[in-house]
Parts: sequence; C-alpha cells; structure tokens
Amino acid sequence: MVSRSAKGKVLKALGIAALFAVILTCGASFAADKVIKIGTIFPLTGPVAVSGQNCLAAVQTAADIINGKYDWPDFPLAGKEGLLDGYKIEIVAADHQGKPDIAKSEAERLFNQEGVFAVIGCYNSSSSKPASAVAERLKKIFLCGASSSAELTERGFNYFFRTAATDGIESEEFADYIDYLNKNKDAGIKTIGFLYENSEFGKHAAEEGKKAVAEIGLEVVSDVPFTVGATNMNSEIQTLKAAAPDAVFGAALGGDYSLMVRTMKQSNWAPKIFINYCTGYQSPAINKELGSDGSFYMGGMGYSPEIAEVYMKGALPAQEIYRGKTGFPLDSDSSQEAVCLHVWAQAIETAGAVDTEKVAQLLRTETFPSPLSLSGEVAFSPGGQNNRAFTVITQLADGQYKTVFPLDYADSELVYPFPAGDKR
Amino acid sequence: MDNFAQVVVDGLMNGAIYGLVAAGLSLIWGVMDVINFAHGEFLMAAMYACYWLGSLAGIDPTVSWIATGAFLFLLSAVAYKAVVRRCIGKAAMAPLLATFGLSIFLKNFCLNRFTPNFRLLNNTALSGKTVNIFGAIAPVPQLVTALFSLVVIAALYYLIKKTRTGWAIQATAMDAEAAELMGIDTERVFTLVFGLGGMCVGIAGGFMTGYLAVFPEVGTLFSLIAFVVVALGGFGSIPGALCAALLIGLVESFAGFYIAPVVKYVAVFALYLAVIMVRPKGLFGW
Repeated sequence: MVSRSAKGKVLKALGIAALFAVILTCGASFAADKVIKIGTIFPLTGPVAVSGQNCLAAVQTAADIINGKYDWPDFPLAGKEGLLDGYKIEIVAADHQGKPDIAKSEAERLFNQEGVFAVIGCYNSSSSKPASAVAERLKKIFLCGASSSAELTERGFNYFFRTAATDGIESEEFADYIDYLNKNKDAGIKTIGFLYENSEFGKHAAEEGKKAVAEIGLEVVSDVPFTVGATNMNSEIQTLKAAAPDAVFGAALGGDYSLMVRTMKQSNWAPKIFINYCTGYQSPAINKELGSDGSFYMGGMGYSPEIAEVYMKGALPAQEIYRGKTGFPLDSDSSQEAVCLHVWAQAIETAGAVDTEKVAQLLRTETFPSPLSLSGEVAFSPGGQNNRAFTVITQLADGQYKTVFPLDYADSELVYPFPAGDKR
Repeated sequence: MDNFAQVVVDGLMNGAIYGLVAAGLSLIWGVMDVINFAHGEFLMAAMYACYWLGSLAGIDPTVSWIATGAFLFLLSAVAYKAVVRRCIGKAAMAPLLATFGLSIFLKNFCLNRFTPNFRLLNNTALSGKTVNIFGAIAPVPQLVTALFSLVVIAALYYLIKKTRTGWAIQATAMDAEAAELMGIDTERVFTLVFGLGGMCVGIAGGFMTGYLAVFPEVGTLFSLIAFVVVALGGFGSIPGALCAALLIGLVESFAGFYIAPVVKYVAVFALYLAVIMVRPKGLFGW
C-alpha cells in the first residue's frame, strides 16, 4: 500500500513536470512565432552528394543574408534583418540520397511533421518530380532550383516554381550556336551524338536536344545512354568514336563526368565540339580536379564567377559567404537554389504575412529582382517556369569559364575544333 | 578490326581489375563463410589513402600501392578483430549485418571527413600515356593495373597452394575444428585471411587512383560486380574468380559496344543469373 506522503510526492513531481512541459511548450511556441521553417531536400549523400551539399550551402547562404544585415544596396532584403517584423528563416535540411522514393517521403515528413512553410529541392529532376507532387497535393509551395527537366513545369502545377533554365531552353541555345558556327565560321558540323546518363535528367535532356538539332538539320549518328556510377566508360566512348559525330551533347554528373573526360582523352578522339547540359562541367570543384583535362569542353551556364564579375556584380558578396562555407565559388546549379529562397523571401515580404496562398499568388504574378540571376530578375509563367531564365554557352580554358555565346556576352573566341587527347 | 581489338583489350583490362577486387572477397568467403559487405568501402579507403599520399606527400600510385596494400591489410585485420570476430558462430545474418554496418560507417566517415568532392590525382607517372596493342589503344594506367592484378592474384594463389601458411588456410577452410586439433591457430588464420582480402583490394585501389576519381561512393558498383564475380567463379575459388572476372569484363565490353552501352551491366547480371540457374555452385565451385 502506497503511503499518503509518497502519493503526495508523486503528485508534486508530476505537477512540476507538467509545469516544465507547459513552460517549454510556451517557450517553443514563442520562439516559433518568429521563425519560418523552410525545408530543403537535396542529395546530401550518394553519387551526386557534392552537388547536393553545394545546393544546401547556397540556400544557407541566402538565409544568412536575409537573416542578417548587410550594406548591399543591389541585393534586396540584405539591408534588413529578417523578414516582415523580425521573422528569421530556419533551414530544415533533408537528404534524398539521389532516390526519388526518399525525396517523396522526406517531402511528406517536412510538411507534415516539421511544419515547414515551403520546400526547396531536389537537384535531381527524378526526385523533384514526386516531392513536388506531395507539395501540390498539400497546396504548399515547392521551389526548384537546378532540376532542368522541362517536364516539371509542363504538369500545370499551381504551387511549383522553378528558377533555372530547362533542358529545352538550353538545347535551343546549343542548336542556335551550332547553326551560327556553321553559317558564319564554316564549322561543317553535320552530325551529332548524345552521351547521357540513363536517368530522368539525362533522357529528357537528350530528347530535347534531338528536337532542337532536328530544327537545324543535324543528323543524329550516335545515341549513348550510360549507367550512373559506371565503373568505366570504355564502351560508351568507343561507341561514340566509331560513329565519329561532329558534335556531342553530354549530360553526365559528378564522378561520371570526370570518368567521361578522362576516358575521352585516353581514346585519342574528340568531336569537333562537345557541349554539356547542367552537369559536372559546371562544378568548379570537379574542374579544378580535372585540371587541363577538362579544357575545351563547353556547357550552358546561368552563373560562373567570370560571368558574375562582369554582369552580376550584385552577386559577388553573396559568393564570398558561399565560398566561406564550401571553399569554392558559386556555380550555376547551386546559385539557382539560392535564387529560390531569395525570391520566396521577397514574395513573403511583399505579402506582409506568413500565408501560403498570398505568397504563391505573388510568385505567380510578380517579377522579382534577382542579383543571383543572369537576367537580373525572376518571373514565373503558369506551370511555374521562370520565364526570365537565361544561360550563356561557355568553354573551359585554363581553368576559367570563357563565354562564347550569345555574341553580346562573348568574351572569348571558341577554341575549335576540340583537340583530341594525343593532340593537346 | 580496330574496334574488335579495342573491345577485347578493354574487356580484358577491366576483367583483370575486377578479378583483383574480387579475389580478396572470394578468399574471405571461402575460408570464413563471411560475405564482407564492406569490401567496396575498403576499396574506397584504399583510394583515399593513395590520393592523400599522392596529393600531400607527392607519392605516385606506382609506389603508394605498397602503402595502401599494407594499410588495408591492417584495416581489415582490425575490422575482423573488432567487429567480424564477434559475429562468427552467432546467427547467420550477424556477420553480414556487421559488415554492412561497417560499410555504412566507413562511407559516412569519409563523407564527413573528406566531403563528397570528387578527387583526382593528376600528373602521375603513367597518366596520359597509351600503348597500341593490335590497333587498340590501351591507357597505360589501366594496363599496368590489369597486369599487376594478374601478378597479385598469381601470388595469392601460390601462397594458398604452395606454402605452409596456405595449407593452414586451406585446412581451416575445410574444417576449422579439425584444423585446430592439428595445432593450427584458426583465429590467427582468420585474421590473416581477412587481412589478405583487404590487402588485395588495397593494392587494386592504390593503382586505380591513377585514373579514377575518388569519392565516398566509388566502391559501390565495384563491390556489386565483385559479388557477381565470386558467385560466378565459385565461392572460395581464386582461379574461378579470375576466370569469372575476365569473362565478365569481356561480356561487359562486347555487350556495351555491340549491343548498347546502357546494357553492359544488364548483360553481366543476366550472365550471372543464367550460370547460377544452370550451375548454382558457380563455374569453378565444388
């Protein structure tokens, strides 16, 4: 039998525990009142972890700028500490490991359990697709930076917004450039091959590329999808070499890109021109490791340190914060993830309230200044595509991204034709 | 003809490299009945060790393979003593899950310490060099790795078949209890076998750093192919592993060029399934 005094002690202990619980809950809610949680879903581990971690660092860079106070007149919201009347952004990071099913379940967790206001992600188009479908079902905002599959913004979603250029936009630009070279430089590019990873991103990029080159009359002589994370690329490069296309469009991420570059060099063969979609080509870290082997490859870019020096000076201070986190300058993919948070923050500031519907409506209708975008602004079309998204074509030379097209932006002459490994 | 020669040379080079990666796995399985799920991560650890030796101390992979082989011997022996040994004789899944946990630990340790960045050794003694073999271009780093793989596998085979240590290993593999009764220290044999398995993959990783990017996921597909090699060649058979590896290299290369590059791994796994259905013990199993 429990004594009366023992019962009293238990009740007293329970009472104190309950009081603590109430205080903690209140404290948490007081703190939560001034915090807006934003979820991120990137591949923080897995084959493209380097890109995922860079994307997260870029979002955190944008959050640091918005939460802090900086005397940067060209960077909206930098001069004000926090959002609205003192709200701070809290980033809740999730890892999808490059797997679409995990991206979907992480989106559900972030919205339903973490209570995030919006999600930014997912780098891989294949992961952005199911994760954004979760957001659409819940009528929550999903901001997409680097995923380039045009299909994402062709679904008619109302809460999906993408800042980067699509594979379709890039393909048209690549085709325009080849057409220009043929007509004005007598380049003689008549045939083309495609080398791409066998994924949503790679397959879609190749489809868009084939449509674009058909418009300028190029013959597709080689179509080479490859397994992501391959142990070697001998068959892939040998197949291309046997077909000997004049041009190649490539879509390979991370380690596959470096393997492709090295295998191509060893094969002693190169097409006249090799242009990449948003790939390992855009990563300063990968190109630093590749050294001179990475030279003469080309690619579409919405951001590079060299472009920023000339056309995006407002982005340079942000780049230094990012460099402090990663050791590298911003790149084309990660900068777009920072744009997502920056644009969303401007929308919430304009809305004057933490209200999903108001913010989404502003994202659909307004144009936002964006120092991290090459065009300087962001505006979304129905379906969520940024209709101001714009890229230039660059060529790597001596570790620097030289802009070669459009001509208005060009700062260098194209090194043409691409020299094979034994002719460098 | 040039294409055919190129396909054959590529297939044999890749096959020989798969053989060395798989030889250690085969040895461990054959003697201890343990499937080492951390084998791919041992390869990754060797590649990181070689990369850091190259980038910080300027030691070329043609030399640093000795250090990575020794390092992986020690790492594997320690892994055996600290993790695997405690699982032997327990539930059948215990060693499997323990090595799986070890693989996750190693991968995430490297991810945390070295970031997921892709790291490449440039300007090594062999980089950029190629030789012409019957019209096929063979990159010297891969060719040297492949030839060295054959030498290491031959040495391993000699050790197992022709030395007293090898006889002790064979005796332990056949009947550990009887071997103990004959005075063989089976615990020491197990440690040695796990160490040798690691050493093989350490040497392979040391050479492969000369031409492959190093990152936390680099061992994933190699270890998967190594499992196929071991199963196809017959669990525990080192000559079987080599023959299976060369066969897999050729199948991968021929399917990749003459059918489509995207099916090269499909062909490898299809071959594996076909052989396993017809001959479950593998080509050289007993």
